[in-house]
Amino acid sequence: MKIKDFRRGARQSLRDENLQAALDNNAQRRKEGRLAAITSLPDFAERRQRAHAVKAEVVANLEENLDRFVERVTANGIQVHKAADAAEAIRIFLEIAQAEKTGHLRPDAGSVPLLVAKAKSMLSEEIHFNHALESAGMRVVETDLGEYIIQLRGERPSHIITPAVHLRRADVGRLFAEKLDLPYTEDIPTLTNAARKALREVFLGADIGVSGVNFGVAETGTLCVVTNEGNGRMCTTMPRVHVALMGIERLVRSMDELALFLSLLPRSATGQKLSVYTNLINGPLPGTGQRRHLILVDNGRRALRDSALIESLYCIRCGACLNACPVFRETGGHAYGSIYPGPIGSVISCGLVDREYASLAQASSLCGACREACPVDIDLPGMLLRVRSGLIPEAASAEGKAARIQEGAGLPLPVRLGLKGFRLVAANPGVFGFFLRLGGLLSRLYSPCRAYMHIPRWTGWGYSKEFPRLAVRPFRDKWEQVEQEVAETGDTVKAIPEAVDSGQNQTGSGLSLVERFTEELTALGGKAYKVRMEDLPGRLGELLKSRDISQVLADDAGAKYLGDISTVRELDPSIRAGVTGALAGIAESGSLVLVSGEGQTLTASLLPEMHIAVLKVSAIVAGLEEALRKPELWTSAAGVIVTGPSRTADIEMTLTIGVHGPGELHVFLIDDSMTVR
Amino acid sequence: MSETVQLFVTCLIDSFFPSIGEAMVRVLNRAGARVEFPSGQTCCGQPAFNAGLRGEARPLAEHTIEVFERTSGDIIIPSGSCAAMVRHGYSELFRDDPAWLRRAEKLAERTHEFTEYLVDVRGLTDLKARWTGKLCYHPSCHLLRGLGVDRQPRALLEAVREGEIVPLPEREDCCGFGGVFSVEHPELSEEFLKRKIGNFESSGAPTLVVADTGCLMHIEGGLRRRGMSQRVVHIAEVLDSR
Repeated sequence: MKIKDFRRGARQSLRDENLQAALDNNAQRRKEGRLAAITSLPDFAERRQRAHAVKAEVVANLEENLDRFVERVTANGIQVHKAADAAEAIRIFLEIAQAEKTGHLRPDAGSVPLLVAKAKSMLSEEIHFNHALESAGMRVVETDLGEYIIQLRGERPSHIITPAVHLRRADVGRLFAEKLDLPYTEDIPTLTNAARKALREVFLGADIGVSGVNFGVAETGTLCVVTNEGNGRMCTTMPRVHVALMGIERLVRSMDELALFLSLLPRSATGQKLSVYTNLINGPLPGTGQRRHLILVDNGRRALRDSALIESLYCIRCGACLNACPVFRETGGHAYGSIYPGPIGSVISCGLVDREYASLAQASSLCGACREACPVDIDLPGMLLRVRSGLIPEAASAEGKAARIQEGAGLPLPVRLGLKGFRLVAANPGVFGFFLRLGGLLSRLYSPCRAYMHIPRWTGWGYSKEFPRLAVRPFRDKWEQVEQEVAETGDTVKAIPEAVDSGQNQTGSGLSLVERFTEELTALGGKAYKVRMEDLPGRLGELLKSRDISQVLADDAGAKYLGDISTVRELDPSIRAGVTGALAGIAESGSLVLVSGEGQTLTASLLPEMHIAVLKVSAIVAGLEEALRKPELWTSAAGVIVTGPSRTADIEMTLTIGVHGPGELHVFLIDDSMTVR
Repeated sequence: MSETVQLFVTCLIDSFFPSIGEAMVRVLNRAGARVEFPSGQTCCGQPAFNAGLRGEARPLAEHTIEVFERTSGDIIIPSGSCAAMVRHGYSELFRDDPAWLRRAEKLAERTHEFTEYLVDVRGLTDLKARWTGKLCYHPSCHLLRGLGVDRQPRALLEAVREGEIVPLPEREDCCGFGGVFSVEHPELSEEFLKRKIGNFESSGAPTLVVADTGCLMHIEGGLRRRGMSQRVVHIAEVLDSR
């Protein structure tokens, strides 16, 4: 019985001071970050309702939307595979790997195991992906810092966004000292850098890159993958083969809808306006021989859609409900047993992982903080109530388990019997009144003097509080007296018209687009310089010289501005700076929009430790919606929206700049507004 | 003009805290409502419904509907969670039964939580109450999030003469009651309670005001177990004090 394991796990968590400190830290920082981020979106409440409505429509017409999506993805040159369950997903992946190995990667089919570099994907955890690949003789390396840490520890994630949230810096220090031969340190940048180094080799040597998919866009066939560290970009850009795993429900219909969801996901997940890297993948990167596959996984999702828990499919896996949940704050993720912890986990685990997890729905006080935090307004307390009452998806026929789960699964027997007894009593007012009086009398005998009684710990209630005495005369027996008493008093108060709540005035920032862009980018740790076109090569040269950099990796646009600075166009890991153009800038988040196409834009902006971009002032747009309407984002093989330098907060929520992507981001803004009339 | 209202006193007030019910009747009377008490009422069925035992909850919900269907006027409930049960829980409970669903929805339309009724229906905030000393308000989860009622109890408390309302840190955190949760997960419930009591203590107020009896007996029970002198009162008791 899973709920018993949960209770045991919860007690263990409560005793673990280290964990408690880590969880308090997480709850506080994430709640504050989320609040600050949603305040920056004046129409957040309205967007939340729109997002709910969009997901409701997408899920209600899931098959049509899926067909359209598959058609577009296929037309874009990505091979699509459909898996009904975990086993089929694994089998498909192994077949892809085998075919790629013999066909392209290692025609010699040598004995060296295939190396798989993996970006974060909860779906892969759900289907036990790593274990299956390792059993098949492959080497799988998790490349998200948090995932990497727990993989080295032989654990599973304890949070869907911050997998190592249960650990503190000392735990990571000890782990890296043991596994990476690093002298013991608690310095987070040093630890992060050690992981960067170890993983850089993995990215460059990997045969296959695996990623999840945050959103699939049906109208364009775009795969959107959101990451902060840059590992997602690495896994989808560097290896010759990219395999994306996607749950069938993770769909939106249009780029406009994608913009809506991208305004909600990072704000709710990490308190960012946009994640550092919003990857938009449309097809294999041209000229690289890259091949892309998409595995669409059902694994219980259609059954959830056909059940009373359909709303749970609207989830965008932001983790906000975990951060808001007071139970999660005490127990952490591991206590739940399921790979999906917290409120959303207690709803979907019975559908996606194991029916036995239905009893996890008991692990909630139904306080509703989860629903309040949900950016898609999923009625999580309502879903938990349905799971509690046994309204879960029908059992898969192959399982042979009972099709129906008992009402109140996981409820302790005394509580169940107590509620049954209470119903028998309360269904009849006469009997109810009798028992109230009897209870009043007995509790008066048990505790003659004190209004609150001491009851033993084993009762549950008595564990931490006293219990009130029942009244000898319940309200029903006092009613006549009260009624008479008030009939004799005549004073009443009059209503005074209430002041109407005036809506809060919004003040526009009054900044121009370029000023706003500069302000946002600077706040993220990037640098912006406004220069005239003719001064650009000189200014670029100064910046590079000040860093002792004599050679850069550049795309076509970047190379134009470099004058006599030596450039390479081919991938070279030792190059320290990359210079690229940019399709557009986004003022509200200080983001750059880059697309593949003219040279090595995507690698030049990813591999070196410093990324220098040249952006025309006229190419700055106000918001994400406008940027995503640029046709280049779905006509090019891949694009990325870069929002600040690469970063992570996987160790103790401490922000560390510069993980797998560049740690420095410089943007030269060319004021071309004067040249156009 | 006085208006007739039906008091659904709730099983917790009926059995443990009848004086809260009395206070509420006096306050409603002062607000110009003529209170009636349908004697057949027992429990709305929430405990079983929240525990997942819909089969046990249903007879009590049907009974409640039958009792109040025979009356007229607004139904007033001095508890956010019971009011939320009648307003939202019943339509979930009878989602597959159109006949009962219609009856439940009719009842829901007539149902108001106590503070919501005073402020939104009667248009009152100042009930000429008087309270000496600091007060601190804890918004119960189902009242705050289930019904979206927060402005109303605060406005009522702001108007109390001589009373000083001080803020409760982390006010919206659950106190750890959660119905059977408080019995089923004693250790977790205790952690929530400890945090709530700590925040209450740091507010400096001797009195915590709630609008839900579940939270009241939970927090008060915790204070008593710890031998603390602070007390928890129902908002009806504050509004009734002169």
